[in-house]
Amino acid sequence: MSEKTEITKREETVPERSRPVPAVAPVVDIYENDNEILLHADMPGVVKEDITVNVDNGKLSISGVRKLATTGAANWEEFGDVEYQRAFSVPQTIDVAKVNAELKDGVLRLHLPKSEAAKPRVVQIN
Amino acid sequence: MWTTLNDIDRMFGDMGLLRSRMNRLFTDFDRSYGEDYGWRVADGTPRTNLYDLGEKLEIIAEVPGMSKEDLGIKIQGNYLEMSGTRKSDAPEGYKTHRVERGTPTFTRSFTLPSDVDSEHVVASLKNGILTLSLPKAEAAKPKQVTIK
Repeated sequence: MSEKTEITKREETVPERSRPVPAVAPVVDIYENDNEILLHADMPGVVKEDITVNVDNGKLSISGVRKLATTGAANWEEFGDVEYQRAFSVPQTIDVAKVNAELKDGVLRLHLPKSEAAKPRVVQIN
Repeated sequence: MWTTLNDIDRMFGDMGLLRSRMNRLFTDFDRSYGEDYGWRVADGTPRTNLYDLGEKLEIIAEVPGMSKEDLGIKIQGNYLEMSGTRKSDAPEGYKTHRVERGTPTFTRSFTLPSDVDSEHVVASLKNGILTLSLPKAEAAKPKQVTIK
């Protein structure tokens, strides 16, 4: 008898339908010079507020959620809401405090400066 | 004798299968996860969505890293052509580790489900998404019919 009531209870609280946002890896370009590592990632439709960049113990993870505000009946749909996420190993020599990111035209540009100690140094011969 | 040959043949067949699997494993290894790789459809054009809002149609397209100068839009009746080029944004004096993003040139044409009023089309570009608002031609708009 008690089991029955439990079943009815569950029916009453129908959870709202939430489709998990699919996760995809954004395509990236990675460049490096003596001062920094530069990463460009395509994230069309993602706003600045929905991007997180994490550097933790040699692991860089970027994530951006795209929420498309669409109305009307779709005749065709080739893309939708998505979570761009990707992780990279970065050398420990990255100066985490100086990492900065910019977002323009749906492209995330991440500057990962190397710490002073890691920069190449010219040694003078005395 | 024949059976042995057949067995050997089958063994080689299996080995071939294994080898092709191994090859696939290694090419997949460096790839990102998921079917969805990048922002392009197979032929190098951006992906688009088309919505019908009754009075107008709306097309959105993924065009990351493109400015409005890089894109061209042509409309005639119910024919729409979208073209564009992505310029390389590779910085000077950097060593390249990985290039996945590419610099494609594309043209894509669509047949819209109805004629549009090309005079009043509005195009906007924001966060790498191109939005085209295409008001339907007068004849194609939905009409309320009153019963006499």
